[in-house]
Formats: sequence, C-alpha cells, structure tokens
Amino acid sequence: MSFLAPGAFFLGLLLPVIVALYLLKLRRTEREVSSTYLWRRMVRDVEANAPWQKLRPNLLLLLQLLFLALLIFALTRPFQWSSGLTGEAAIFIIDSSASMAATDTAPSRLEAAKERARQLVGELPDTARVTVIEAGQEAAVRAASTRDQRQANLAIDAIRQGTGGSDMRVALELASAIAARQPGTQIVVLSDGNVSLPERMGVRGSLRFLPIGTGGDNQAIGLLTLDARPDGRLTAFAVVNNFAAADVTRRLVLSADGVTVRAYDLSIPAGGQQTLTAEDLPDGAQVVEARLDGADLLALDDRAVAVRPAARAVRAALVSQGNVFLRTVLALLPGMEVTEVTPEDAASLGSFDLVIFDAVAPPDPLPAAGNLLFIAPARGTALFGVTGVLQTPALRALDAGSFLLENVDLSQVSVLDALQISAPDWAVPVVAADAGAQSAPALLYGETGGRRVAVLAFDLRHSDLPLQPAFPLLWINLTNWLAPGLRSDVPAQVQAGESLAFPLPEGVTAATITRPDGTRVTVQAEDGRAVFADTTALGYYQVDLGEERRAGFAANLFSEQESRLEPAANLPGMAEQAGAQDAGALQGMREWWRPLAFLALGLLVGEWLVYQRAALIRLRDQLRRAMRTGERNAKP
Amino acid sequence: MSERLFDEAFLQRLERLALVARRAMAGQTQGERRSPRRGQSVEFADFRPYVAGDDFRRIDWNAYARLERFFIKLFVEEEDLTVHFLVDTSRSMHWGEPSKIGYATRAVGALGYIALAGLDRVTVTGLLGDNGGLAYFPPHRGKQQAMKLFAFLLELQKPPAGNMARSAIVEQPSTELRALTGVARSLQNYAATAPAPGPLVIFSDLMDDGWQDGLRALAGRGFEVTVVHLLAPEEAEPALEGDFKLLDAETGAGVEITGDYELLARYRAELATWQADLRHFCAARGMGYVPMLTSVPLEELLFNWLRRTGVLR
Repeated sequence: MSFLAPGAFFLGLLLPVIVALYLLKLRRTEREVSSTYLWRRMVRDVEANAPWQKLRPNLLLLLQLLFLALLIFALTRPFQWSSGLTGEAAIFIIDSSASMAATDTAPSRLEAAKERARQLVGELPDTARVTVIEAGQEAAVRAASTRDQRQANLAIDAIRQGTGGSDMRVALELASAIAARQPGTQIVVLSDGNVSLPERMGVRGSLRFLPIGTGGDNQAIGLLTLDARPDGRLTAFAVVNNFAAADVTRRLVLSADGVTVRAYDLSIPAGGQQTLTAEDLPDGAQVVEARLDGADLLALDDRAVAVRPAARAVRAALVSQGNVFLRTVLALLPGMEVTEVTPEDAASLGSFDLVIFDAVAPPDPLPAAGNLLFIAPARGTALFGVTGVLQTPALRALDAGSFLLENVDLSQVSVLDALQISAPDWAVPVVAADAGAQSAPALLYGETGGRRVAVLAFDLRHSDLPLQPAFPLLWINLTNWLAPGLRSDVPAQVQAGESLAFPLPEGVTAATITRPDGTRVTVQAEDGRAVFADTTALGYYQVDLGEERRAGFAANLFSEQESRLEPAANLPGMAEQAGAQDAGALQGMREWWRPLAFLALGLLVGEWLVYQRAALIRLRDQLRRAMRTGERNAKP
Repeated sequence: MSERLFDEAFLQRLERLALVARRAMAGQTQGERRSPRRGQSVEFADFRPYVAGDDFRRIDWNAYARLERFFIKLFVEEEDLTVHFLVDTSRSMHWGEPSKIGYATRAVGALGYIALAGLDRVTVTGLLGDNGGLAYFPPHRGKQQAMKLFAFLLELQKPPAGNMARSAIVEQPSTELRALTGVARSLQNYAATAPAPGPLVIFSDLMDDGWQDGLRALAGRGFEVTVVHLLAPEEAEPALEGDFKLLDAETGAGVEITGDYELLARYRAELATWQADLRHFCAARGMGYVPMLTSVPLEELLFNWLRRTGVLR
C-alpha cells in the first residue's frame, strides 16, 4: 500500500493533542453543590488519582482517537496498485460477436468481458471519461465520454449477445476518432480476437487488447444446403468443421420438418472438416435442420437450418468457347438453367439472371441486365481494365473471412498465368496473385450500377483449380452471391444479422414474418419490396405473403471466423503497435479513502450516541413507561 | 416584622396539634406534663410511711383509722417540658431552591408554636460549627413568646457572614476539616450543657461524618431525638451530565466527575444506601428518622410525616 498524500500523516500530531485536552480537562465546568460529601463517598477511587488514570474507562476518548486516526488515514489517500487503468479517459470496445457466446469462461465470454469492463470502470478515477463501444455486426457507441460511471455500467450491461460477426474495424475507427479529441485516452479492446481488420490500421490513443477466452474446443456446421431435384427428390449437403486441437466424433442429426430422419456419427480430424451428403430425404420436407449432438464451447454453430429451394430456376448464360469444367459444375448446381452462347452471339443476348464470360472478350456494350461473372476477360470493359499478364503467380487470400472463400482453400492451387486487372473503386479484392514484386487481384467482386459483378483473373484451363475440392465450393459461394434470391423471390438463406429484401407478389402490400422464437413481425412493402433486417436470431423464419402463399428463409451462423474459438493473443495486424504498449500489464491505482471515510463517519455517529446515551436511555425508559401505562389502561 | 413565617389560618390549624413525649421527663416548674417526680396534682400515685418532718396535712386519715399507722399519700407531679430544636445552619443548608435552611426554620417555627401553645418550653439552637452560642434561643414559655421565636428564626435564615478561606481549607487534612465543621463537638457540648433533656428535633442534611458521634452523645443524655434529614431535590436527582468539577459549598473542595448515566445511577444507589444506614443507626438508638425533600410541602411534613413518626399528635 502506498500513499498519495503522505504529508497528511503529520496530522497525526493531533492525536496527542486530544489526549492532552482530556488530561487537562479543559472542558470541565465548575458547579457549586451543597456538599461533595456523597460524591466523595462514591468517587473516592477517581478523586486524587494520577492524571492518566482519568483516561482509563473513557470510551469517548477512544472513539475520538479512532475517528481522528481514520480521518487522517483517509486524508493520506492510501492506494494499492491494481491491474486497472489510469488516465483521464478510457474507451471500452466490447466484442459481441457470436464467438463471444462461447462458454469457456463461464458463463460466457461476453459476460466475462462485461465483468472485466465493469471492473476496469470501477477502478478508474472519478473524473475519467468513459466511452463504451459495442463491436457487434455493426459498431455502435453505447455511452459517449461520460463521467458517470453508473451510466457507463448501464451501457455495458445493455450489451447483448450477437449472432453475427463483429465490425471491429469501424469500432476502432470510432474509438480512434474519439481518442483524437481526448488526449491521454486508453482504448481497451475486450474480444477473443477473432475479427478481421485491414492490414495496416492506424489507431490514435494507446490501444490495449485484453484477450477473452481460453479454449478452442469447438465443432461447427459450416454449411447446410438443400437440393431439390426436378423429380422432387431432396438431398442435403452439409459440412462439419472441427476447430479443436484433437480428433473428435460428433453425431449429426438431421430432422425434416421437425421429425428426426437421419443421424450420422462423423469422425472429424483435428482442424479438418467432414462433408456429408444425405440423399432421399422425405419428399415433402420444407425445412431441414441439422444439429450436432453433445456439447462444445459454442452452441450457436451446432445448429443449422436449410429451406427447400423454390422451384424457379436461375437462368444463366455461359458465353464460352466450350469449357467442360464449367459445364459440369454448372450442371451440378441445383436450380440453375444454363444456356450456352458462343462469343459471336454474345452481343445480342436475351434476358438472363446471370451472364458468365469464360475467357472471351466481353461485348461492348455489356448486357443491359443481369449479374456478371468474368473469367479471364480478354480485354478490359467499362467496369475494369486489364493492364498485363502475371506469369505463374501464387494465390494468396486477402480476406480469409470473406464469404466467397468460405470452406475454400486456394493455397494448393497452381496457376500458369493470370491477367493483371486494375482494381476499380467498387470492387473488393478477395484473392491476390503475387508474381515476384508484382501483385494483382485474382478474384474481386462488388456491386456497381445496380448489378453484382465478380472477376476471376485466371483462365480455369490454365490452372488446376477445377481438380481441387475447393472448386465446387467456390462456385457455390460465387453463384450464391451472384444469383441470390433469384431462385425464389425470398432468398433461402441469409447470414445471421444480414438484412434481406424481396419483391412481393402483385397485390400484396405486407408480409408477416414469424421469427424462430414465435414472435411475428409485419413488414410493409416499399416500392413493391419488403425489407427485413432483424435476422439476429438463428433458425427458420416463415414468411406469409397472404392467400396461402408461403415462403421461408433460414438464418445461420456459417462463419468460420466466429466458430474458430481459439483466442488470439492480439488483434490481427496490431502486434507491434500493442506490443510496444506492454500489452496486458495494465496498472492502476485503487484508492481506499472512501471506505475509510465511511468508517470514520460511522465512528462519529457512534461517538455521538455514546455521548448522548443518558438521554437515549431516558428516552427508552420513558417509552417503556408510556407503553406500560398504555397496557394498563387497555386492560378493563 | 417585614417577613412572616406563617399566616393566622396556618397557626390556627397548628393549635390542634400537640407534641408527644414518649416518656415522663422532669421539668423545671409546674406544667401540664407528667413528671417522674411526686407532687401535688389530683392524680393519686402511691403511699409511703410517715416520717418526722412530713407535712401532716397529707396524712391519709382513713388509712390510720383502719391500720392505726400513719401513711402519707403521694400524688403525680405535673411539670412543664423543654422541647429542643437544633438547626444545622452550615453553608450547605443554604443551598437549594427553596433553601433547606428556609424549610428547616419554617418547620421549627411551626413545631415551636405547637409546643408554646401546649405550655411547653421551647429552645432553638443554630449549629454553626463551634460558635453555637451565637444563635441560641433560650427556653421560652407561653404562646406570647411565639413572635420572639419567629423573629429569631428569620434571623437564623440569613446566610453566615463572611466567606470562608477556601484555599486554606482545601489544604487542610481531613481531621482538621472535621474539627472545623465540628458538628460532633457542638452536639456533645449541647448534650452536656442543655438544662433539661426533653424531645429534641434536629433539622440537618447530615453531610458530615461527625453526625453519628454527636447523635450518640444526645441519646446518652436522655433526649428523645428525632432526625429530620433534609435534602434538596437537586441532591436526590442531580442533573449533572457532562464533565464537572463539583465545588463544596462549605469547604470549597472540588471533586471532578464525568456525569453520565452510570455515574448518576451509582449516585442514586449510594444515596439510598446512605439513608438506609442512617435509618438503621437511628432505629438502633431509639431515635426517629424522617428523610424529607424540600419539595414536599411543609403541611405534608407536619400533618402527615411527623404524626406518623409519633412526634406530633
């Protein structure tokens, strides 16, 4: 224990002064009585005694000395070094993504993070400004620069477990902006570190990352899709990932419309995955649910729901010189009608939902409608430019968490040559092709001009990608994104927390959506489309469009990032920045004067009570007497 | 006389009372009290054989006729009685509201008036240390002497002149202190010099250790002693909460106390013990003991307490 104001100990010199006052009896008033005869008879032992013996039974003196000692002790402002924060301002970023629901730190990582944040807030000086930012699917400031710790605690308490990812980038940008206004700000990130951040990110203020969580023992359903053949047969396709460090066997239970139909015991190697195809599910089944029996750290990803795809097929045009791989994979994709078009006819294309240009020169102008996928375009278009060729590039995932790369491993893929495509503003590069010092995006996607566009920079025939297991998965991801909601008016599947918009049939103005917990929401149409954003609860959402017309979609947590629970030691890309700050070793002063002052106050009250006890006892006796006479009067 | 002790109505009520003497005592002149002597009243007492020199007018001739021997008839003598009042006039008696001395003198006035009305002699002595002679009301007889008595009592109420040399007293050892108050000695002197023993009433607060010796001497002389122990209400229930230095009104000696609930409770217990001791002491020597607070009306003392004790009838 140390002291902020040890000089106050000199006030201890007042203690002997109190004793001296008692010895001198300065407070004695002289009173003449008829005779001291009786008093002398009684207090013979007290009278004429040595001075210090006067102090012997004096409770008041003892209490006063204690009171003063406590007061002085409080004035010296004792404190203890504790693992807390110092400084005038602190920003707490609390990750509320799905992975924070893991139960390795009971009751959950989020609760542990909140508890730690509350503790840190309590250790802050009273004058410190506290900002609380929740890094959920969307980053939000819950309490801004408040000096009211109670308000900060309320804001922390109000953070709820999310079911999606965490937008840590925006949260850090917000924190950085606030820190720029407040010098001496400390940013504390309470997260398990499973977030995606840009490679270089400048953050103002000193950043400290407090990793939450201990284990990574988790298995997750990474994918669940349904394929309805034209003849009505239903096939489910599921991927189960094991993120634990040991091989496990889990039982996967499939149920159709609430009735258990299949159970599989899957042996999954450590860090690997197991795929499963369940054919011949009951024909009429609309909703298929997969569930992993048993328990692991995260329950959110042990359950997935898939909805039977609607009958309407996606109309796709494949502009190609003939590509057997593409033809095969497109034929395998459920619900897709593919029309092959030669490059010569490309200029006069009809209306298609999706147009794929496979290693041909795209027509100019581009088709007016439909989403576009360019594979190794022979020349640039109005959307992007082609500047050169990279020889034998190595592929590198720029954003491993991107939905396009879900379950896709491109590290084993070899490429002969790739086009050097200048990334336009609207596009997000997902995979980079590195050839020596040169680097260019190998896969990019984005929305421009009201349509979705993706570009793959290398020719499939100049790579071994079509021979890898990653190929069909990549295609599912690509076509899921390029042709969403095309299969049905209502998309069959959304990421938890993602908003969805779907057109309503003619004459229908509102859709009623029944959420997984049974609550119903009515969504009014705007311009013939219904927009629904509250998909945080995982499970099956039923959409009633009126007149017996029904649809549904499933919200699932298919996120490798959230299912990979192993806590990170630091934020990605923040290693050197936080390392310089002596991460984790937070030190703060916990002051003790408050309880001491309260104790002193209690002593003061006690001293007063002792001083007035004669009056109090008299009062008590009077009360008793009054009650006794009252009782006597009450008797007949 | 500017001040009066009593009004006429009170005095008339007093005349209905009479002092009681528990046994016959010798007086000085002819009176209304039964005396141990034989004398000339109408009440027959005894016979005794005639011896030469007896008054032959008192020979019982009827006895001579039957027995042919001379017998003298003896009659009970009736004499007067001297009632003694002792009033403690030390400084402590001047304390309290109303003062104890005032209460004591009014009580003496009332009792003295009763005695005078009953044709008894009344003598009052103020006990002020050694100089008892200063405040001495010699035996008087007859109701017409009442005014003289009252005047003396009013004089007695005045506080003693001159302050005591406190510093000198404080340094005195306790034996000297006792000699100065000298209650025991003045009582012993009184017992030795009083002309005729009789009923004796002492009014005092007894705040001194010498009282017991003095009372013993009085009882030995044959007085019928009644002790009226006067206490002011402030002495019975002192309102002393806090730290005080108590100064003795008589000696100026100080006692330091911290008055709290326990101490005051102890004080009350001590007072009760003291009074019980005194009552025991008096009962053992055939004395009456009347503890009295000055807050009790005088009528209550006279018409109730003293009748109950057997001093008045």
